[in-house]
Amino acid sequence: MFSHVTVAIYFVYVCLGLIGLGIALLFYMKIKHLKMLKMKEHYRLKHQDYFKFIQSHLHENSELPVPPGKLAPLERRVIQDKLAELIEQFKGELRNRLVELCERAGFVKDEMDQLESLFFGRRVEAAYRLGNMRAHEAVPRLLQMLRKQKYSPLTIILGRAIAKAAKQEDQLKEMLTLMLRHGKPIHNLAADVLLETDLDSSKLLLQFLEDGNPDFVKVALVAMWGQAVPEVIPALDKLVGAEEKDVRAEAVKLYLSSNPVLKDETIKQLMSDNNWEVRAAIAKSLGSLHAAGSIPLLRNAMRDENWWVRNNSAESLAKLGETGFEILCETALRGSGVERETALFHIEKVMSEGADHHAVDQMVSFNKKRLLYDRYFGVTERKPVRKVAAVGGDYSA
Amino acid sequence: MEGIILLRDILLIYGLFAIYYVMTVNALYFAVLAFSFKNIMNIFRRSAYSKYNTLSGSELVPAVSLLVPAYNEEVTVIENVKCLLTLNYPNYEVIVINDGSKDDTLGVLVKEFELEKMANPEMRNSIDCQAITGVYHNPKYPHLFVIDKPNGGKADSLNAGINLSHYPLISSIDADSLLEKDALIRMARQYMENPEETVAIGGDVRIANGCLIENGQVKDFSLPNKMWPMFQAIEYLKAFLGGRIGWSSINGLIIVSGAFGLFRKDYVIAVGGYRGGYPGEDMNIIIKLHRYMLENKLRYRIAFCPEAVCWTQAPDTYHILSNQRKRWGRGNLKNMIENYDMAFNPKYKVMGLLTMPYNIIFEALNPYFKLTGLLALAGYVALDMTQWKILVVFGLINFLSGYLFSIGALLLEELAFKRFTKISDLFKMLFYGAFKFFGYSQLGTLWRIQGHIQYLQNNNSWGAMTRQSWKEKSETPSSA
Repeated sequence: MFSHVTVAIYFVYVCLGLIGLGIALLFYMKIKHLKMLKMKEHYRLKHQDYFKFIQSHLHENSELPVPPGKLAPLERRVIQDKLAELIEQFKGELRNRLVELCERAGFVKDEMDQLESLFFGRRVEAAYRLGNMRAHEAVPRLLQMLRKQKYSPLTIILGRAIAKAAKQEDQLKEMLTLMLRHGKPIHNLAADVLLETDLDSSKLLLQFLEDGNPDFVKVALVAMWGQAVPEVIPALDKLVGAEEKDVRAEAVKLYLSSNPVLKDETIKQLMSDNNWEVRAAIAKSLGSLHAAGSIPLLRNAMRDENWWVRNNSAESLAKLGETGFEILCETALRGSGVERETALFHIEKVMSEGADHHAVDQMVSFNKKRLLYDRYFGVTERKPVRKVAAVGGDYSA
Repeated sequence: MEGIILLRDILLIYGLFAIYYVMTVNALYFAVLAFSFKNIMNIFRRSAYSKYNTLSGSELVPAVSLLVPAYNEEVTVIENVKCLLTLNYPNYEVIVINDGSKDDTLGVLVKEFELEKMANPEMRNSIDCQAITGVYHNPKYPHLFVIDKPNGGKADSLNAGINLSHYPLISSIDADSLLEKDALIRMARQYMENPEETVAIGGDVRIANGCLIENGQVKDFSLPNKMWPMFQAIEYLKAFLGGRIGWSSINGLIIVSGAFGLFRKDYVIAVGGYRGGYPGEDMNIIIKLHRYMLENKLRYRIAFCPEAVCWTQAPDTYHILSNQRKRWGRGNLKNMIENYDMAFNPKYKVMGLLTMPYNIIFEALNPYFKLTGLLALAGYVALDMTQWKILVVFGLINFLSGYLFSIGALLLEELAFKRFTKISDLFKMLFYGAFKFFGYSQLGTLWRIQGHIQYLQNNNSWGAMTRQSWKEKSETPSSA
């Protein structure tokens, strides 16, 4: 029995020791942190005039002066942070002047030294700061770090630092390769990182679009989101028929954003694609393309298993003049289940938005639709059409 | 005489068993805490070295539907919805679900946002839920929808919200909680780091009592002035920083707080949505997600994002707090009973071999072992007063190991977040961290047992919950 209680007493002693240590550490950290905050505030005030001077002389041709006097390490950190903040705010020549100032003030060298620190945390912090200061000389070392880094949030931090600091397209390409080598579908985040670059991203994205690596293609497609310039159309033409469904879907979305003239055959093919994202994208675009010839396809698509396809088809029908609207009314009256519900929703949407039209042509178009509405649902005072409960379920996201 | 000796020996053996039980529980707590420490600096770096200004205006971020179930929330709901409508996030919608409130929750929303009933709202009916009464909308606030439905509970409200939601990610948010402006974008960033495998992410919930709140934002952070919320502030810190960071690092997180979590909608639908009719729906959905992913051999993770912060009103009276804890006790027990088959089952990996056994043996049954152990040792000492030391040792083990865990959580806070800006805050936290073991912890044990009794009695009520306006709350610290 004694030995059992002894074990428990040892446990108590260990707890007591750790508690004492923990409390001491807590107070040490707290006091140190509060002191640092106070000093930072002091230095911020001390160098307020310098910061104002830099901002007011940023547009001039003369060389920006380095911070005056002998600076304490924390003081240097405060100034560096402020300059990094300004670098983020400006672009082009003004940014370059601030970057050059950071170099002359020795901030870049300080952080380059920290890149060789024994402490991992310091190396990551230095990478982040070098990225903020657009220190291109750090890129080879940063790439080396990224190469060794296992996939984690720090991969993104390093990638972003490289994207900001890189001066060569090859470096960006290598950064992207290293970020994507782990096989994670992080194309959206990678695109966001890539767009941090000061280099001409449109040229780079075009190259990626024609790259053999599907990951690069995906990054380029999402990075161009909704901004298809004419130069990319030939590449997109090929990608629209790509095997990989993600690539195809993104390519179709981007392709359609350029308001292309589509052949009936192409529309038909896309509307029957096995990827719902492709069907939804084409259904959405048909309304804005005023592709009245595609009304039967949209009518059928209102029975699609996917909500987005149904919804976009109805939305497009509502945009396709009286003919499209009449199809909606007919579906609402004679259709059943989900197609009927979708039609009802969009009819009500059109009717409720009608009152807001001010342009004459819009009012005329709306009045024609109202006549159709009255024909289908009665001429008396406008009441919302009867609500119908949905049939079945919809498991699409 | 022999009978007394035998009784004394039995009491001692059981008492020693209870001591080892408590030591084992705490050793496990410390193991989880060690995982939290292992990850905390990476969390700090992720939080400190990520800028959200570009991401929060980017089309590349996934769209999110925020679901806000509201029951009798007329006092706080306007402030909360305003807060949610001004998040730093590019593409999202807010769906408030009025769950048959007896007060004027719907009325104040309709009046404030000039909402009108939609004639034919398009509910997708992906998940079973009660028929709704109506959906309210105003094109001036295109991203705000209010569903009105008969009372069916929080889970039913969330399911109704899912049926109306338009986006692939959903986020459940309590109507008595305020999100920090960057909370959602921080969570989305974590999601984007591994979108294929991430099925849910939990946010950090902190106590807003005592903070200065203006325009739906926490402007000045302070610890609560009252005793009950202060105890809870410590508890939340321990649970979220000390526990959930560690559990999530081994993919063994069993709960994502109902106050703030992000989910992949397709998987929530695949598991049949939230389970209605019983509290603990936030734990239940996570268990169901674990089960589904593991049974279908899909790679997944349930993550925790401590830098995404949600501020919540903690109960500040005994009555409300006890109701809340009994409800949690009931929900927890129900979830354990419903999913007992997962425990010790290697098919469910970390969940089956660690999380579930831990929750059954060391969480659900904890009050019984502790209480009976205490009674056994007290009986043993009563029979032989010379052995009083063993009772003291038992008490000390409970107190010191619990207190050490509090200090661990405070260290994590100090390493990564440093939200307490005054030395007095630290004193206060340390004091309440110790003080809670002299009455509050025992009450916690009692409430949990009462919750279990309610479960056995089929008592399924939500219990009383009153709200205080955020404006009133924010006046409290300034006048104090």
